[in-house]
Amino acid sequence: MGVSCVYDYPVPDGRSGAQVVDVLQKQVETMGAYKTGNFHIDCETYQSVMLNSPKTLHILHNSEHPASCFAILDSGNTLVADTLFNGLMSNLKNYYQARKGAKIESKGQRYQLADFVLKIGSVSLAGSFKGILVEVEYSPSLVAMECWNLMKELLQSIVGNIAETPPQTLKPRMDETFTPTMAMLQYLEHFNNFRNKAAMSQPAR
Amino acid sequence: MMQAPQTKEEKQLDSSLDDLIHRVRELKQSIASFIYKLENDYQNITWPSLMESFGVLSSGLSTTKRLLKTEKMPLLRNYVLFPILLSPDRDPHLEKLTEGRVLAFNHEVVPDYLRTKPEPEVEEKVQLLSVKASSITPEMAQKQLTMLNKITSNVLDLINASSDVLDKDSSQKNALPQTSSASETNMLIAAVTKGMRLRRPEPQVQMGGPQMPGMPGPPQPQQPAPQKPQMPGSGIGRMQSTVKTNIKAAASSHPYQRP
Amino acid sequence: MEAAVLAPSLKSIAPQQEYLLQGSILDAHRDVLLHRLRGLCDNAENSPESFNDYEAVYMLRNSSTTQQSQFVLFRVRHALDRPDAPAHIRYLGQAEVGDRGRHTLVRACLDVACSPNVRDFLMEMGFRLDHDYVAQGFFFHKGRMKVTVYKIFKLQQPGKTDQSNLEPLGSSHLVELSVVAPLGQEQIGDDMKNFAEQLKPLVSLEKVDHRRIQ
Repeated sequence: MGVSCVYDYPVPDGRSGAQVVDVLQKQVETMGAYKTGNFHIDCETYQSVMLNSPKTLHILHNSEHPASCFAILDSGNTLVADTLFNGLMSNLKNYYQARKGAKIESKGQRYQLADFVLKIGSVSLAGSFKGILVEVEYSPSLVAMECWNLMKELLQSIVGNIAETPPQTLKPRMDETFTPTMAMLQYLEHFNNFRNKAAMSQPAR
Repeated sequence: MMQAPQTKEEKQLDSSLDDLIHRVRELKQSIASFIYKLENDYQNITWPSLMESFGVLSSGLSTTKRLLKTEKMPLLRNYVLFPILLSPDRDPHLEKLTEGRVLAFNHEVVPDYLRTKPEPEVEEKVQLLSVKASSITPEMAQKQLTMLNKITSNVLDLINASSDVLDKDSSQKNALPQTSSASETNMLIAAVTKGMRLRRPEPQVQMGGPQMPGMPGPPQPQQPAPQKPQMPGSGIGRMQSTVKTNIKAAASSHPYQRP
Repeated sequence: MEAAVLAPSLKSIAPQQEYLLQGSILDAHRDVLLHRLRGLCDNAENSPESFNDYEAVYMLRNSSTTQQSQFVLFRVRHALDRPDAPAHIRYLGQAEVGDRGRHTLVRACLDVACSPNVRDFLMEMGFRLDHDYVAQGFFFHKGRMKVTVYKIFKLQQPGKTDQSNLEPLGSSHLVELSVVAPLGQEQIGDDMKNFAEQLKPLVSLEKVDHRRIQ
């Protein structure tokens, strides 16, 4: 586990998600990256019921850490636990209930390119395609500040100018030791954006 | 006519000899099987089974002895065994009878097998001991006897005394097996399962409402936390009952004291 | 909906049950019991393994007035003597006494290891600290049976777990014999009962009805 940066890769109008993913995959393959299997990140969101102050709890899983489960509160406070944490959630069903149709996931191919791990995932919310997330991980380093310039170079050749600055959630923690939680927080941020976009477009219909 | 009683006697001798041989054979078999067990199956042998084997052997011996003393058994010592012929040659019949232990009835074995007195050396030793015994005066013997009795009784006292102590120890252990207390158990379980006596008195969220039966109660911050540990089992009900009986006893004694 | 909540990898996890017998031993006789347990349990050649855990019990309660009596308890524990061991959350269901044929208490049991910020996290989720204590003692195992002999300490000042701040609760150690296994393995009860027999009369391990304890 090294430092990871996750970016939302825009899908231009008139092109399908699958087409864009295909182009991205071809692109990284021409760069010399080779496939190392699939990856899968999912997020389920729970809403508190009958509590004095309403709270939201996100439960994320990452195939990179198959035995763990990341529980993230609105404040960003994250608990890393065994996957059995899901069992605990089912005991809290009178207090926290899963938001219906809010299950969002990103899955796709995982690539290795020298010291980098590249993940190109298509995001789907309740089964429908919402966008593309590209994750680049630089394995040998644990401090984002120290490898950001190196990562930026690679990122820009894949996702272009959107990788001009480090991801929002990572910015204040550039000099800290990178933890898997930080990658999950980035994913959650993107997931929330996708959901908000979906929610905004829905009432118009 | 002269032959009749003799045959009767002979018959009796024959049958009793047969009996004896039969007994001895049985005894021999049990000894053989015991030896076999000791030699080949010693891993599995247990103390009780060993004792049992000994018991079988000793009862076999005593029945044989009893057989020799019965009325029907003719006095065997009245019969004389007279070796007519000694031969250095191998005797297959004898070999078979003795299961290969005695090969020939010759000069070498006969003195051993037909011996009726102990060996001369043994006889000598016995003689020596009996002379020594007879040389002691009755007073001496008496003295030694009392001495021995005294020592024995002393040792016996010692053993009894220590066995008393041992018994006391074990009975003490049995008498107070108070190694755990039910009230403590309940108190500790209440603490780990319901947090009883572990909550802090500081008032937190005000809680009220009905308690579900069978559910651990909500914390009651109003209650002072250092509760007196109430021992389950020594209920108030029992206390009342003693008081009641006391009153009754007092009331019943009164009428008789009044003039 | 329940099934959808679980990740695909978790659907196969069978719910675990804890089979439990409890008793206590007076402090003065603890060493005799430890000695006997050492003889009865696995790893007799090692000295008994000790533990020193801090457990805090957090409660989540419905704020609606109609359901005041409902709540969930999460027991959060971490080892004081092993700072790098992870904290864990334990959820325990209501202990069922069952009928006479069953030798032990049975309760749902879920153990989840987690990161050390669990206390703050639970508070933020809406839990509040209900009570806490320190458990110090020894643990043994025989096959899949686990035996713990431990003393419970109250914290005189909240939050401080130094030995000087601990006040022992009662004059006994709690003794627990437990097995965590999937539901329906009733023969475990027999094994546990046989084991408990061997500790008599020193300690009598029983299924203590938690509902009756005051």
